[in-house]
Amino acid sequence: MIINGVAIDETFAEAFPMKGTRLIITAHNAKWAMISAQAFTGFATSVIACGCEAGIERELDPSETPDGRHGVAILIFAMGGKGLAKQVETRAGQCVLTSPTSALFAGIEGEKEMALGQNLRFFGDGFQISKVIDGKRYWRIPVMDGEFLTEEKTGVVSAVGGGNFLVLAESQGQALAACEAAIEEMKKIPNVIMPFPGGVVRSGSKVGSKYKALNASTNDAFCPTLKGQTKSDLSPEVESVMEIVIDGLTKEDIDEAMKVGIQAVCDLGVENGIRRISAGNYGGKLGPFHFHLQEIMA
Amino acid sequence: MSALTLTLKTVPTQRIDCSPLTPDALQDHSLANIAAIELSVGNTMQRVDALFDITDGDTSEIQINNSHAKLDFVGRNMQSGSITTDGDIGAYTGIFMEGGELTINGDSGIYTACEMAGGQIKVNGNGGDFIGGARPGYKNGMTGGTVIITGNSGDRTGDHMRRGFILIEGNAGDYCGSRMVSGTISVLGDVGAHLGYGMKRGTILLTQMPSQGITANFNDCGSHTLAFLPLMFASFKKLDSQFAQVEPFSRVQRYAGDIGGIGMGEVLVKI
Repeated sequence: MIINGVAIDETFAEAFPMKGTRLIITAHNAKWAMISAQAFTGFATSVIACGCEAGIERELDPSETPDGRHGVAILIFAMGGKGLAKQVETRAGQCVLTSPTSALFAGIEGEKEMALGQNLRFFGDGFQISKVIDGKRYWRIPVMDGEFLTEEKTGVVSAVGGGNFLVLAESQGQALAACEAAIEEMKKIPNVIMPFPGGVVRSGSKVGSKYKALNASTNDAFCPTLKGQTKSDLSPEVESVMEIVIDGLTKEDIDEAMKVGIQAVCDLGVENGIRRISAGNYGGKLGPFHFHLQEIMA
Repeated sequence: MSALTLTLKTVPTQRIDCSPLTPDALQDHSLANIAAIELSVGNTMQRVDALFDITDGDTSEIQINNSHAKLDFVGRNMQSGSITTDGDIGAYTGIFMEGGELTINGDSGIYTACEMAGGQIKVNGNGGDFIGGARPGYKNGMTGGTVIITGNSGDRTGDHMRRGFILIEGNAGDYCGSRMVSGTISVLGDVGAHLGYGMKRGTILLTQMPSQGITANFNDCGSHTLAFLPLMFASFKKLDSQFAQVEPFSRVQRYAGDIGGIGMGEVLVKI
């Protein structure tokens, strides 16, 4: 398959089941809601070392938030419910509770629930106040700028993590421009995040390493400087490869995000140095979710 | 199908225990069965059809006409459906209620919503003493649900209250929120003496400073913008009450007490 001169590999991205939740952070204004959300979703690019993958889904108008203030919706994913709960609690405690004027709410209902402010309330040292409003329990925790308001629980849903595609270009600048264009479009899709910096990964990994202590290492087949040293998957004209990783609430959400992302890259076309679109997988042996590039773009 | 209608035949001379007459208890009962239910009247037992004219209808909706202040325990243990009374009602209305809607088009007696756990009681009139309270000798009052009083409430509103909302559109009597453990009482009018007496936790939200001021056993914590108030007012929007029309506010003067006890309760006064 070739779109606008860009070859779409006959391959697939392999993704895994995860557990996820959506949280809503509100604040005195949009600036501080975003600052808190960015702090919460920091160092959350990959479960390999961060314990979770998180990102900003979108900004919310005051009309869309529980307390009528400016807000940000974030999605956070982990490999299991326990790990997710730990990450949510730690990050909420250090990045939202601490953030001026913030409040924290559940943004999704799930088959199960997990603690959100349930344990953060103890920061109130006995001065915390519970309020049950419309069947939901909230905690009012006295803090130095007033009160931190947080919902007690948030929903946990089954999700999908690790959808991806690779952009193979003639230069680093062209690969980056293509990925930026893709991210711009993918941000418009609900229920997904691209957890890496700016949504783009330049250090895609393969499973395993020559070093026993590491369970992942550089994806040498897609490293352009190793074309003559390893079993490369790159043609001579490809000088830079970048990857976009997508986590989403459902497979369909990731399908849609990959489609608009790849389309945005292909719209730039071969005249802008984009040569191929590929994807990362492990032979289909590890992840139950397979995103076949040519099917998505058909 | 219209509501099952019970019309009181005569003004009762003795108090009548109406607790068997709830939508849940009458579900799947025939008209003859309902007529044969015996109610405690003073120290006697009398059939429902001896006390009420009965018009057959949907048992999930019960209408009591000509109701009287001697009809006690209306809606006891109610879990679903609705009961509407046309006239005053007696004591312990909605005691142990867990769900459904109870509407009193008249005044309600003492201990309305006593130990209520869920559902909604609306009194289109005045409420008696001990609304949402605990039975004498018990320490757990209302644990959930919403009570709306369109008129005034008596003394000891929310005594021993633990959860839920008591919304008074008129004035509240003395000792409002006494011995309150948690939950929310809001009053649009004035409140009587000894506001929050013995209050442990919970919130009393007032739209105006009480004419008698805040009692000495509450300490002024200053003026604040509280984020939970807009959420609470948003939840009131669905109510058939003046509270749905209240312009949401979050700026309040906060008073903490009763400092004669643990002092974790709060009186919030709109500023």
